[in-house]
Amino acid sequence: MPFFPRSASAERQAENSSSGAARRIRKTGVVAAAAAVVMALSACGGGGSAQSDDGPVELRFSWWGGDKRAQLTQEAIKKFEAENPNIKIKPEFGDWSGYWDKLATQVAANDAPDIIQMDEKYITEYSSRGALLDLSKYDIDTSKLDEAALNAGKSEDGLTGIAAGINAATILANPAVFEAAGVPLPDDSTWTWEDFGRIAAEITEKSPKGTYGAAAYGTDEASLGVWLRQDGKSLYTSDGKLGFEPADIAGWWANLKQLSENKAVPTASEVVEAEAAPLDQSGLATGKNALAFWWSNQAPALEKASGGDLKILRFPTKTGDAADAGLWYKASQFWSASSRTKHPEEVAKFINFLANDVKAGETLLADRGVYPNSEVRAAIEPKLTPADVKVVKFIDQIKDELGEAPAPPPKGAGSIQEIIKRYTSEVLFERLSPQEAGKKAHDEMKSAISS
Amino acid sequence: MSAISELSTLSRRKGKATAEEKKANGRDNKAAYIFLLPWLVGLVAITIGPMLMSLYLSFTDYNLLQPPEWTGLDNFTRMLTDARLHNSLGVTFTYVFIGVPLQLAVALLIALVLDKGLRGLPFYRSVFYLPSLLGGSVAVAILWKQIFGTTGLVNQVLAMFGIQGPGWISDPSTALGSIILLHVWTFGAPMIIFLAGLRQIPHMYYEAARVDGATTLQQFWRITMPMLSPIIFFNLVLQIIGSFQSFTQAFIVSGGNGGPSDSTMFFTLYLYQKGFGQFDMGYASAMAWFLLVIIGVFTAINFIASKYWVFYDD
Repeated sequence: MPFFPRSASAERQAENSSSGAARRIRKTGVVAAAAAVVMALSACGGGGSAQSDDGPVELRFSWWGGDKRAQLTQEAIKKFEAENPNIKIKPEFGDWSGYWDKLATQVAANDAPDIIQMDEKYITEYSSRGALLDLSKYDIDTSKLDEAALNAGKSEDGLTGIAAGINAATILANPAVFEAAGVPLPDDSTWTWEDFGRIAAEITEKSPKGTYGAAAYGTDEASLGVWLRQDGKSLYTSDGKLGFEPADIAGWWANLKQLSENKAVPTASEVVEAEAAPLDQSGLATGKNALAFWWSNQAPALEKASGGDLKILRFPTKTGDAADAGLWYKASQFWSASSRTKHPEEVAKFINFLANDVKAGETLLADRGVYPNSEVRAAIEPKLTPADVKVVKFIDQIKDELGEAPAPPPKGAGSIQEIIKRYTSEVLFERLSPQEAGKKAHDEMKSAISS
Repeated sequence: MSAISELSTLSRRKGKATAEEKKANGRDNKAAYIFLLPWLVGLVAITIGPMLMSLYLSFTDYNLLQPPEWTGLDNFTRMLTDARLHNSLGVTFTYVFIGVPLQLAVALLIALVLDKGLRGLPFYRSVFYLPSLLGGSVAVAILWKQIFGTTGLVNQVLAMFGIQGPGWISDPSTALGSIILLHVWTFGAPMIIFLAGLRQIPHMYYEAARVDGATTLQQFWRITMPMLSPIIFFNLVLQIIGSFQSFTQAFIVSGGNGGPSDSTMFFTLYLYQKGFGQFDMGYASAMAWFLLVIIGVFTAINFIASKYWVFYDD
């Protein structure tokens, strides 16, 4: 052991001064390594897609929906790509539940898909904040589109959505469950809410345990909208406010509570569990419910999942007259585009294909509702499956019974469904009375759409 | 220690050497920083940058689609009157203050059993650790949902005894309990740490105690607990911090809505809903900083309290 140990740095110093060249080399090495690292990092960050004008353009297209829709839509994409070899469409799809969180994040991160399947609940939210492209400035033919459907996509921000289909709120019935219980199917042109409750309770009683006459309503705004319209009210007013009072929604929940007490609908726990189930595993598709609340365009997919025959019914009324059902034609969903897309021309071309091309119609059929383009609708009629035909017939059938078109959902309407669901379970679990729930939900909805 | 101080006095005596040394040190540091750069860039870009950004956003009204607007303390004052936020705090506190002690108790118990020198210890250690690896995952949360569903495994077993079980995760009175149980089940990580801690307690203490006629229980309270207290403290701090931030289980089990009736609406879940579901990212950012303060306060309390119960051997 040395008596005075030399410090490490002193040792290094000696070494350094003895070989300056080596030091220089080492230094260059360090700088080079650092430069390499920085370059590698910046290469990761930059996603600049340098594309020449005639090179292939890639567009991202996102939608929500089940397996059947994914299959049909991808087929339509293939047909489009075959005609337009320079445009590639990259599909992104998933369930409704995760769709909106994902879209909000993508838009915020400036990474929105080029083509977006949009819902009426969110279209004002996105278009009023400048996230959607005004499609009227591009080459999309709207002359053949149903006027009401076309207008649904228009606002002060321009034409930000082209209706993909027309649908209506319906009640779907599973005749097999009716038959097993020995209960006749109702006449949907005269039935009342009382009939609905009575029939559903009877089916529950005469069916095996775990099967119920009807699915509970109260998991979205469609059934509430119908109920309010039958009372001469509405979900929203044209100036973007709520079109009903706490007492109106309380009455709706009181009726649901009555249904629940009569065991016409599943237990509160089962209702909560059913909310999370995808369409293919819903009570109607699995034969656990005889009646359920769905949009008309969902009938074919449900029929496929149930493996049997389904019947489309009108909503019950309070008067027993189908003319008072208060139904309306809804744009099932919209084709929208991101305002930040780099290729608006190609996007418009694709949307035009989806909306107006018979080839697209022949593939998509009625999955997103009845085609708004009258020419396509006529051309694809022979190709429709029996399930699709039922939907088209139903839409046709209710034409003369429709009420006034409802006001478009205002900004913030995307949160309404969640509020309805939450208070529905508060009522079903008897944690709140329908009156209390009505008041609280009304307050919350009011602040959701006014902020 | 002494060698280093000796060195520094030695070098301080040589004035000229000090200056050169500094230079050399500077060079050394530069090289170190250059090599640290990839990590540093990550830290700044992925952690510190977004954190500062969210601090700024917490004072703004930001809807994700348009530029943020400065609103001062507005978000924080709104939090005072937000009943759903208060509910979510209640849910989170219940989860933390029931889940963490329960989980640590189970972890300690299993560790004590395993420490007795079981045959095939590595095997059991792995088996018990497994849930910790899986517990936070989406797959297990989905599995949990099935097991505790109305017609799930638990109720099928109960039905054999003629008991009609509730829909554990779909009933507001039992949903949170099911998620706490999921948390307790992931006791593996603290268990491994406890096991390591138990191994470090010198055997002679127990031998001496036995010679003096101490019972097993006395040995546990007088030797094991004090000797293990730093480990317990460590686990407690980590688990509390982690539990306040837990999100995945509640998100999956409730289908993302914190239901039924907000009974599993964790603070983090509400934050997520506000930010990404309701386009209220300014408010969500304010909530995130509030959560940071809460966690900070509880960690501080933990450290202050530790002076009274944690025993350090050396």
